[in-house]
Amino acid sequence: MAPLFTPRADARLRLALVVAALLAVLALALGYAWARSGSTWAIGKPTEQPIPFSHAVHAGQLGLDCGFCHSNAARGASAGMPSGELCLGCHQRVWNVTAQFAPVQAAVDTGMATQWASVHRLPDHVRFHHAAHLAAGMTCATCHGAVETMPRTVRAETLSMGWCLDCHRDPRSRGLTPVGLGAQPYVHAGVEVPPLTRCTVCHK
Amino acid sequence: MSGGATRRDALRVMGASIALSALAGCDEPDEFGHPLHGRGRGVASEDAVFATTLELDGLGRGVLVRTRGGHPIKVEGNPRHPASLGASDVFLESAPLSLHAPERSRQALQHGRPAAPGASRDAFNGLRGEGLRIVTGPLSSPTLRRLVAEALAANPGSTWHVHDPMADPASQAAALAAFGEAVEVLPDLRAARTMLCLGADPLGHGPAQLALARAWQAGRPRLLVAEASPSLTGARADRRLALHPAEFEPLARAIATELGVAGLVAGAAHPAAASLAASLREAGSEALILTGRGQSAAVHAIAHAINAHLGSRALRFVPAPAAGGAEMAPLEEAMRANEVSRLLLLDVNPAHDRAGFAAAMGRVVHSVHIAERVDETGRVASWHLPLNHPLESWGDSRAFDGTPSIRQPVARSPGGEVMGAVEALLALLGWEGTGRDAVRETWRGAWGEGDFESKWEEALEAGVAGESVPAASLALRADWDLPGRPIPPGLAAHFAPDPHLRAGAFAHEAWLQELPRPLTRLSWGNAALVAPETAARLGLAPGDEVELSLGGESLRAPVLPLAGQAVDCVTLPLGFGRRAGGPVGEGRGFHAAALRPADGAWVVPDLTLRPTGRRVALIARESQPGLEPDAAKVIGPGERLPPFAPTPSLHQPWSYPGAAWAMAIDLDACIGCNACAIACQAENNVPVVGPEDMARGRGLHWLRVEKHDRPEDRSVFQPVPCMHCEKAPCEPVCPVNATLHDHEGLNAMVYPRCIGTRTCSNNCPYKVRRFNFEDHRRRVDTPARNPDVALRPRGVMEKCTYCTHRIQAARAEGRLDTVETACARACPTRAILFGDLNEPQSDVARARQDPRSYLMLEQLGTRPRTSYLARVEEGGA
Repeated sequence: MAPLFTPRADARLRLALVVAALLAVLALALGYAWARSGSTWAIGKPTEQPIPFSHAVHAGQLGLDCGFCHSNAARGASAGMPSGELCLGCHQRVWNVTAQFAPVQAAVDTGMATQWASVHRLPDHVRFHHAAHLAAGMTCATCHGAVETMPRTVRAETLSMGWCLDCHRDPRSRGLTPVGLGAQPYVHAGVEVPPLTRCTVCHK
Repeated sequence: MSGGATRRDALRVMGASIALSALAGCDEPDEFGHPLHGRGRGVASEDAVFATTLELDGLGRGVLVRTRGGHPIKVEGNPRHPASLGASDVFLESAPLSLHAPERSRQALQHGRPAAPGASRDAFNGLRGEGLRIVTGPLSSPTLRRLVAEALAANPGSTWHVHDPMADPASQAAALAAFGEAVEVLPDLRAARTMLCLGADPLGHGPAQLALARAWQAGRPRLLVAEASPSLTGARADRRLALHPAEFEPLARAIATELGVAGLVAGAAHPAAASLAASLREAGSEALILTGRGQSAAVHAIAHAINAHLGSRALRFVPAPAAGGAEMAPLEEAMRANEVSRLLLLDVNPAHDRAGFAAAMGRVVHSVHIAERVDETGRVASWHLPLNHPLESWGDSRAFDGTPSIRQPVARSPGGEVMGAVEALLALLGWEGTGRDAVRETWRGAWGEGDFESKWEEALEAGVAGESVPAASLALRADWDLPGRPIPPGLAAHFAPDPHLRAGAFAHEAWLQELPRPLTRLSWGNAALVAPETAARLGLAPGDEVELSLGGESLRAPVLPLAGQAVDCVTLPLGFGRRAGGPVGEGRGFHAAALRPADGAWVVPDLTLRPTGRRVALIARESQPGLEPDAAKVIGPGERLPPFAPTPSLHQPWSYPGAAWAMAIDLDACIGCNACAIACQAENNVPVVGPEDMARGRGLHWLRVEKHDRPEDRSVFQPVPCMHCEKAPCEPVCPVNATLHDHEGLNAMVYPRCIGTRTCSNNCPYKVRRFNFEDHRRRVDTPARNPDVALRPRGVMEKCTYCTHRIQAARAEGRLDTVETACARACPTRAILFGDLNEPQSDVARARQDPRSYLMLEQLGTRPRTSYLARVEEGGA
């Protein structure tokens, strides 16, 4: 009877183990790269909107200020979406393509809201306050990127928790001056806790 | 950050492969799917608050409705409205839930089948003509009353009937006998020093509860309560008597005899009368007798006479805002005699409330039922038309004291065939115009053309459209006494509205079904309440089924022995046993209304009760063991509790450089109305778990209201939210740091970190932590949810957050001194105070200095941020 194991069996086993280990590392590395890649966070992916709105035209070519349409950003938690009246105020005169403005016209006529797909919606357990961030000296572009160059609005940053914390740990090093809560020093058990990294600051 | 790997970087690498699966599993697409709302007109903000009016028993209460993206998400009291004064109750708080109820009807039905679009015109056409019968609930709305009158004038021989299962005919008869006018007594609990309640429950749920409870808290009259079944007022009484229904009239007559009231036809004797009469005489014009449902007309009339005899200043009389309309019994008779061919039922459900109504109504050729859901009446009617939710349509109303207010829609109507009550009557009249036009027309008539527009805008803005009705000055007639047939002793049936469902009008509200009733602690069902003595005599244990027979009808019901129930009095809570109207209410409990006689009597003698030997599982939430006896402290007047002496602790002290949030709950002010618990549920997206999980003790209410027993079968109610301990036992035991201490003293809960070991709950001595055994997110994620509070997935702990999102919102708006939690905002007696301990002038910091202040289970050294103020009772602990 031939021996069950040939002299090369050990070598094969070792090779297989090495290959398996390499594959495992490769899978982890690929998984890590995928999880961290922009496409996983939907960076650069446009969403279907009720109207093919172009920030490149409005904010870029026409040079409208962000606050012209998103007027609540400096005041409240949500930046706010422009009302149908505001859109039609101009578009009854220029680029008056009735079919395209049907959703906005319907909102004006019925008093209902136009539902825009959110490109920057944060997870449910996150609280974000636009006005607080603007008051600290941030610009819209810090999170939203160069919107004035986007024909279709897309996400420019991951908006992951780590990305937020990059700033929240030490906002002053980026030239930002947090107001209110961020100004309070806080030491627990001899360790200074950066005031803006406490859970309840950003989480519901 | 400095260079080199940080802890978070290491975790990132370690978790990379887990992230693969987590990305696919954790953040479901719908979590990110909420759209942005661009309104048609107005400002860019998605948030708006509207003042409007919601009704209970036909009487209005002003509310402020917070909306987001056009959807109402929270109802709060309107401080400018006299029936709310800024507080709210369980009914107001649950209004947004029913707005999005899936079982609401959306289309017209003819004989149960969907009718062609526009066919509802035929339904109205068929109603017009001679002999129209209109059935509504009690109407205080000036516009609806005007339109009903127009409809009666337009259709000769027509009649308006009012169906009100909560009505008390004996009280109306007594007012007529005593004063010759149908007036209602409005007690002024601020002006009263001693108040005797004969079956009256001014602190219990009702259209005037919020105002009465606020006034009671301000005036704190001595409460003497005689009642057949425990009530919230009885629980809070200074002296309480449990009386069989037959005993009330002798007691009232004996008190009147003791006081020497003139005009008494017959006297009587009662052992308790002398001391009660002495208390009343001592208070003189600051004494007040109130009578409630279930009393005979004689008792009501005697109370009027005693109040007049004492010259009580603690009450006034106003014409009942919802008075009018014919009774239901003649309609039922006419229907049985085939004399009714046109019947309109507007937002009423007599087929549930009246035993023989459905059979009689089946004989009507053309009956049109307009309601929010296809209920028992809708199933019998030849036409069912869908009705708008009150938050969706125009209307108006009057409060219990006659104060008018406008109801403006705060949400869009579903459209199609769905119409408001005002529009329905306009359609009946065949008139053009919208509901808004009709309401404006009414008020144009009242205010005149001159400055109508400014008054209209002001009324919408304020939520109040005028003054209360001036009090009538009435003299007692000499022949006020109404000696009737006395109630015989022996087993009597005592019908009572369920504290949360009323007579069934709120049976579709899952929040109200699930929340344990204040006194019986039952949820998702009712039980026949018997005295422990009666139960012992018959050998009945809680949940034993009995057959109840009354006047030839009988039904089966589980019994619940309840301390404080009068011997031989069986209380049958209405509102259950629904056979239609949606899955939430259908088939829960037993249908007590089936035994109720057609005259709407609240007490009926000669009940027979026979145990069947079967058992029914009752779902009750008992008080948390381990907290007694010190959880709710009771002290005598003037007594002081020792100040808080902190025990040494090994844990590092925290510093609170900014705010230090705390709550103080006054047990002496709490009336146990449950408004805080439902307000918390509405605010924090707390899911409904259903009867099976409630029976397993898996309810998720963040704030529970405990009931502790006191002598004379009274109770102390104790709201228990998270204590937010400074030395929190839950924090060090969490293996993943999912619950941690915040810089302002909040005990925060990080849901995405939680792995569900439940160790924190085991280590919590107050048992305020709740565990998600199921994933409830899809059912909670309706447009009515509060977007400021995250939904919790399956397998994580949750608990009271001190409404941290409200604190953050207040901080962003720069008004940290006015932070109110949802429970504190709702409380009618302001028993819950919330604020900053670091601010010495804040209410909560002052409450901590109060000699009544104590901490629950202080000896454990947890140093709770939630403190209590002890209840004060004559005789003390």
